[in-house]
Amino acid sequence: MSLPLLPTSVVGSYSMPGWLERLKTEYVLRRISRLELDEIHDTAVKAAIKDQEVAGVDIVTDGELRRDNLIDYFAERLPGVQIDRASKKFYYDFYDSVVRGKMPMAGLGMVNDFKFLAANTERVPKFNVTGPHSLVKRIRNEFYKSEEEFASDVARIMNLELKELVRAGVKHLQIDEPYYSGFPEDLPWGVRVLNTLVDGVDARITLHICYGNRYGKPTWAGNYRYLFPTILDAKVHQLSLEFARRGGEDLDLFKEFSGRFEIGVGVIDVKDHEIETPDLVAERIRKAAEFVPVDRMFVLPDCGCLHLPQSIAFSKLKAMVRGAEIVRAELK
Amino acid sequence: MILHINHVQPGRSESTSGVVSTLLSLLEAGEIDPNTLGHLNVHIDWVQYKSNFREPVSIRRVVRDEELLPLADIAVDLRQMQPETIRKALSEALNGAGPDALETPRRMYLESYTPMRSSIIWTFNAVFWKYLPIWEKASGKGYEKALPGGHSDGHNAQAIQDSIMEFWEQLRKIEAQHLLPTEIYILEIGVGTGERASRWLDGFKDLDRQKGTQYYSRLRFLAGDYSVATLNRVMGNLQAHRELSSFVEVDAMNPFKSLSHLRYKVMLITLSNVYDNLPTDELVLRDGKLFFIEVRAYVPTAEATRICEKYRLPVNALQQTVEKLLRDGPESFDSLEQAMGFWQEIWAAVRLEERLVSAHNLSEAHLPTGMKPSYIEGLIENAPANIRFHLSSGATESFINTIPLLHPRGCLQVSDIFVEKLTDYLHGFRGPGKMDGSIVNWVNGALLEVVGAQSGYDVHFAPFQYRKGSKTSVLYTTQRE
Repeated sequence: MSLPLLPTSVVGSYSMPGWLERLKTEYVLRRISRLELDEIHDTAVKAAIKDQEVAGVDIVTDGELRRDNLIDYFAERLPGVQIDRASKKFYYDFYDSVVRGKMPMAGLGMVNDFKFLAANTERVPKFNVTGPHSLVKRIRNEFYKSEEEFASDVARIMNLELKELVRAGVKHLQIDEPYYSGFPEDLPWGVRVLNTLVDGVDARITLHICYGNRYGKPTWAGNYRYLFPTILDAKVHQLSLEFARRGGEDLDLFKEFSGRFEIGVGVIDVKDHEIETPDLVAERIRKAAEFVPVDRMFVLPDCGCLHLPQSIAFSKLKAMVRGAEIVRAELK
Repeated sequence: MILHINHVQPGRSESTSGVVSTLLSLLEAGEIDPNTLGHLNVHIDWVQYKSNFREPVSIRRVVRDEELLPLADIAVDLRQMQPETIRKALSEALNGAGPDALETPRRMYLESYTPMRSSIIWTFNAVFWKYLPIWEKASGKGYEKALPGGHSDGHNAQAIQDSIMEFWEQLRKIEAQHLLPTEIYILEIGVGTGERASRWLDGFKDLDRQKGTQYYSRLRFLAGDYSVATLNRVMGNLQAHRELSSFVEVDAMNPFKSLSHLRYKVMLITLSNVYDNLPTDELVLRDGKLFFIEVRAYVPTAEATRICEKYRLPVNALQQTVEKLLRDGPESFDSLEQAMGFWQEIWAAVRLEERLVSAHNLSEAHLPTGMKPSYIEGLIENAPANIRFHLSSGATESFINTIPLLHPRGCLQVSDIFVEKLTDYLHGFRGPGKMDGSIVNWVNGALLEVVGAQSGYDVHFAPFQYRKGSKTSVLYTTQRE
């Protein structure tokens, strides 16, 4: 499926319904079975896909509704990671997870989740994974000599899984590395392990870097200046960045380097319940276009819509799509 | 009859047993309808402020859809109870408990039944703060003199020094991570006289100079209060820090409204003795069933008559005169002295009649804006079957509307009187009490803890260690991972 100029997408997560939060927690507390939870997830994912389609989004995800948070979906799957099941009381909490030995190579079993997405949409599907830098910040390391060594093994294991995903049909992959912004000093090795992760993975790869969205609020503050010049070594096609909430003050950083990456411009503030108008979205796109060529620009929210109520998330996506249409019409 | 004795204040065990023996004696003497007893809860666990809105013995009837139910509560305030009047008070209360009981002519009502948060007592409270200088002049003492200990805990020198050091250390940590913003915002809501702010900024400036860290010049101090008169007074007290200070009219229940441009930017937000003075509702669980408290304010007729005679008002003009005072202020009266006298005496006399309104579930409750029913559902899921607790509507709303201002590494510190666990309500229930012309209420910290967790903050409580016997604790937030 071909994409229009200024393709629209979501960063990953979609609004988590209150009832799904409760049911996920019921599962955590062993009150419903895995089978029941899987059926619930299938239903919720279909609804999330439908919302994105009705809103008119070009590149869709499964809303990440099968995931409890950005870590545990992977911690549960990564071979050699031990999980303390009793450590989680509310689904959104992080498990206490730990690595106590060399991680063996094994699959993560994420392909079926992509296949479910692909089977339930006619839009372009995108699959997201949390990057190794962010994962090692939350999974306790009791074996490796350094975080980089640990992250390198995580990257090697996940690289195999990404290749499996590509074999299953993934063409758009996104790596989420929100912890870069909290640990800018890690960036050199963060980019090295990222490159290990994507080595030989034949897909359009987006790297999403934001300032955190835990509980719908930023975890860090600052600006994207810290990314340069190290980020230029990242072997990805696109950077997806947060500009709506923070304003576009550091957009100019990307003017100089716009030839290196496509830019996914965040035009929807996911930390504010006020719904942007299409005109405001169009204005944000026009401003970004001063620094990023429109044929290398993608239009997205700042981050996942997880914490927004469904009606607000849906309306924001509609406004985003309409705003992109306004600018497209102007460019014709 | 179910007797609830969860707390007996020292020296009052005799009064407690006196209540029980008097009840039995009334029954034996046939002065109580035995049928009433089948639906009666008698509470003698109330730990009240010395000055409050209750009679020594209060009856609370229960309604469902305006239909009066046989169930009733009787609350005995042992602090006010006199041994010689106990029999009469209990008899009158119990004989007024049944569904057929008529409204008493001994009360002059100032309003119809209403949820507690919207009672006229909160208008009295708001008017007190609006006309604080006039009240202070009339009473001959500053409002801080009315506080326990006669001064605000917020002014404690050691507490201020420790706060400065903690904040400075926090800034050092953030700077080490290269995440310190150019402008470091600090916000104090409910800034009082500005004395605390002034001492804090003085101390911080000194420390910064000693350490050579250059933080002071980057501070942006915001003094927030809803009273312009207060802000003007504070402005004078912060002359030495004028260049970095701003004075902002802030609604304590919604600071975000006037400060939305500072979303996620404020490093430190402090409030002292603000939450305990914000409107609240109360909820009751009886055998696992949910009830809301509604109140109507009244003045005992005898008191009303006395006050009206003293101020040469017709008794039937009482309500109208109170409304005029609260609407137009004391300056609208012919004589300010007379207005203040009337105000103070009415405030001393005003009482609250309460009733329990049966509810099917929490969706019928008026919850603070931004609070989901699930916050309370989770809290009461494991609560005792019989408990009464504050919804702390104003405090919760304020909390919800304050935390979006916090910088990702910022902290909210609230010095107030908190109930830290819901089960603590089993041992006592404090408030609303009268504090000179204003209201004081304990704050449901357990609820704030739940609200904080849902918003990404762990909420902790630490005792205020700087004054012996202080009931104050400090709520502080840390980022929830």
